[in-house]
Amino acid sequence: MATYDFLFSSLGLEEWCAGDTSDSPLSMADLLRKTKGTEAEPDSLWDLPFPSMDALHESCASFPQSRDLTKGLEQGFLDIKDNLSVVLDPLTQPLSWFLDGTLYGMLNTPWWIVIPILLAVVFVVSKSWKLVVFVGVSLALLAFIDYYEYAMQTLAIIFVCAFLCVIFGVPIGIAMSRSDMMQRLTIPVLDMLQTLPPFVYLIPLIFLFSVTESKLYGIAIILYAIVPVIRLTNLGIRLVDKDVIEAADAFGMTSRQKLYKVQIPLALPNIMAGVNQTIMMSLAMVVIASLVSAPGLGVLVLQGIRNLELGVGLVAGLGIVILAVILDRVTKASLARINAAQKQ
Amino acid sequence: MDRGIKISIRNLYKIFGPTPEIALTYVRQGMGKAELLEKHNHVLGLQDINVDVHEGEITVIMGLSGSGKSTLIRHLNRLIEPTAGEIEVDGEDVLQFDENKLRKLRRERMSMVFQKFALLPHKTVLENAGMALLVRGYKVQDFEAEARKWLARVGLEGNENQYPHQLSGGMQQRVGIARALASNSPIMLMDEAFSALDPLIRSDMQDLLLELQGELEKTIVFITHDLDEALKLADHLVILKDGYVVQQGEPQDILMHPNDPYIIDFISDINRARVLRVRSIMEKTTEAPEHCAGDISERDNLESVIAMSEGDTDHTYRVMRKGKQVGVLDMKELVKALVPTDAAEGNERARY
Repeated sequence: MATYDFLFSSLGLEEWCAGDTSDSPLSMADLLRKTKGTEAEPDSLWDLPFPSMDALHESCASFPQSRDLTKGLEQGFLDIKDNLSVVLDPLTQPLSWFLDGTLYGMLNTPWWIVIPILLAVVFVVSKSWKLVVFVGVSLALLAFIDYYEYAMQTLAIIFVCAFLCVIFGVPIGIAMSRSDMMQRLTIPVLDMLQTLPPFVYLIPLIFLFSVTESKLYGIAIILYAIVPVIRLTNLGIRLVDKDVIEAADAFGMTSRQKLYKVQIPLALPNIMAGVNQTIMMSLAMVVIASLVSAPGLGVLVLQGIRNLELGVGLVAGLGIVILAVILDRVTKASLARINAAQKQ
Repeated sequence: MDRGIKISIRNLYKIFGPTPEIALTYVRQGMGKAELLEKHNHVLGLQDINVDVHEGEITVIMGLSGSGKSTLIRHLNRLIEPTAGEIEVDGEDVLQFDENKLRKLRRERMSMVFQKFALLPHKTVLENAGMALLVRGYKVQDFEAEARKWLARVGLEGNENQYPHQLSGGMQQRVGIARALASNSPIMLMDEAFSALDPLIRSDMQDLLLELQGELEKTIVFITHDLDEALKLADHLVILKDGYVVQQGEPQDILMHPNDPYIIDFISDINRARVLRVRSIMEKTTEAPEHCAGDISERDNLESVIAMSEGDTDHTYRVMRKGKQVGVLDMKELVKALVPTDAAEGNERARY
């Protein structure tokens, strides 16, 4: 006898409950009770269990246990997995090529070409020699301690993922800014992506794709990092001065002209702030994604944790900090340049 | 001064709220603004507006904030859609225009100057001035000469490559005016164009506008809340209150014959001698007066006549138009005209 027997008897469900009593697995509570050898009834109101799935299962064997829920979810996912893969695999395959290609390209080009190219990019974006020197020294330091290859792997992954985030995120943000309906539909998804712990992304992805494919971590990073650029594009366009928009209308701009000549240029500071955030979040995720075979400095951190190699872990962590500072400074510098150009 | 009608507004209504059509029937039955807001939660923006804007004139629409003047001007190029009524530009009903025709109207026949300038902050002064042409698909080098010409005309030579934030408010609004002029549209809508400027610069800009207008003869619809500005600029003055037209006509006429306590209240603070002109108060006659103290123009304001007479009220002047006498002005009449209307009409003001 269990606490909630009365519930099923009063509902007249005893027969259904008795239907199959046999082979359901033991719940944890049952197991504990068995090992203790007591089949004690809760005798006071104080011990009344919450009518949870497990508690109800005790009274009625046909009632599902909570572990059936997680099992069912898993089973359901496995059932649709094959069909989903048929659709998703070809769609995401270019991501694998893109990642592998960039990794191959950056690692097989000699350092004396890659580093000058990176420095040139820094100069073009920031127009600051101070920053170029800082980046040069930082990269030289990483290369000097033989972390060059790992750092370049991490950078390559970030470049690809942040680039794709911008390519997809900005149009989504623009669509959101133009339709309130779209905004209402998108915001819950963005909220979920932003609050879901990063590790949780990896679980369904591992089921869907094989761990050896680079698109696995690519997708995880993009999903995690795309949120700020979408949000800030949407916000930036919505915040464009209403008077200027009205002037654009009054002079007969088409909505395309308005978008390209007024809204996007004026939203650019916000969009760039989103790009900065996206790059920083890619960096955070690329470390976690080393759990699913993403190469780079994250692997060393993981190695440090697994093998308790304190030194390796710390130096790799320091390398990540250096990359983070470089990326942040460079994007902030370009943001500051845009802001200065259109201060109102 | 008999010119064609450029814009004609007929029975225009605008009601803000979820169901303006239903609210409109109440308004047509005579419900007022306050009652409509209280009972049906709709805001009555404009009611039964009938205004003719004549070609080549400055039509000033004046009212306090909330009187619907900015709403009204935005109906002319349909930045705001009316609830009911008709708007005709050059005899065409603007409300029937489809998107393309409307865009063409905004690009080629109407330009607008805004209170807050509304320049593109990321474009240079030159590109801003040429915005209307840029919108029509011209390249910068195509319109550069045109934009430079108009920038020079409003006194901004040498500022072409600066950005708007580098200019003062008055200079930014000059860019706004150059932008409107460079579009070469016959109609200019000016929405409180000078209200954000300080008084001295505002006066400069008014002079600039009058000077340009003397040359270009655009059809200008000018919105303001400032009576002095309205009287200075207006060929035709429309006074709005709570969304309806209280009085419209020639400004001198409104000054001499205000038909509403609201307007009397409005005009009681102004310097009548500076605003009133000789032609509004003269006695129309072609007979020469007996003791003529001199000739004055019908366009002179009373202040200059007083200065000329040195305060002597015994003088009588001949009023001339293009070398011919059109009337006679007795200084005693002039002094009478300076008596504020509210004093003349009893204690009207006490009601307000």
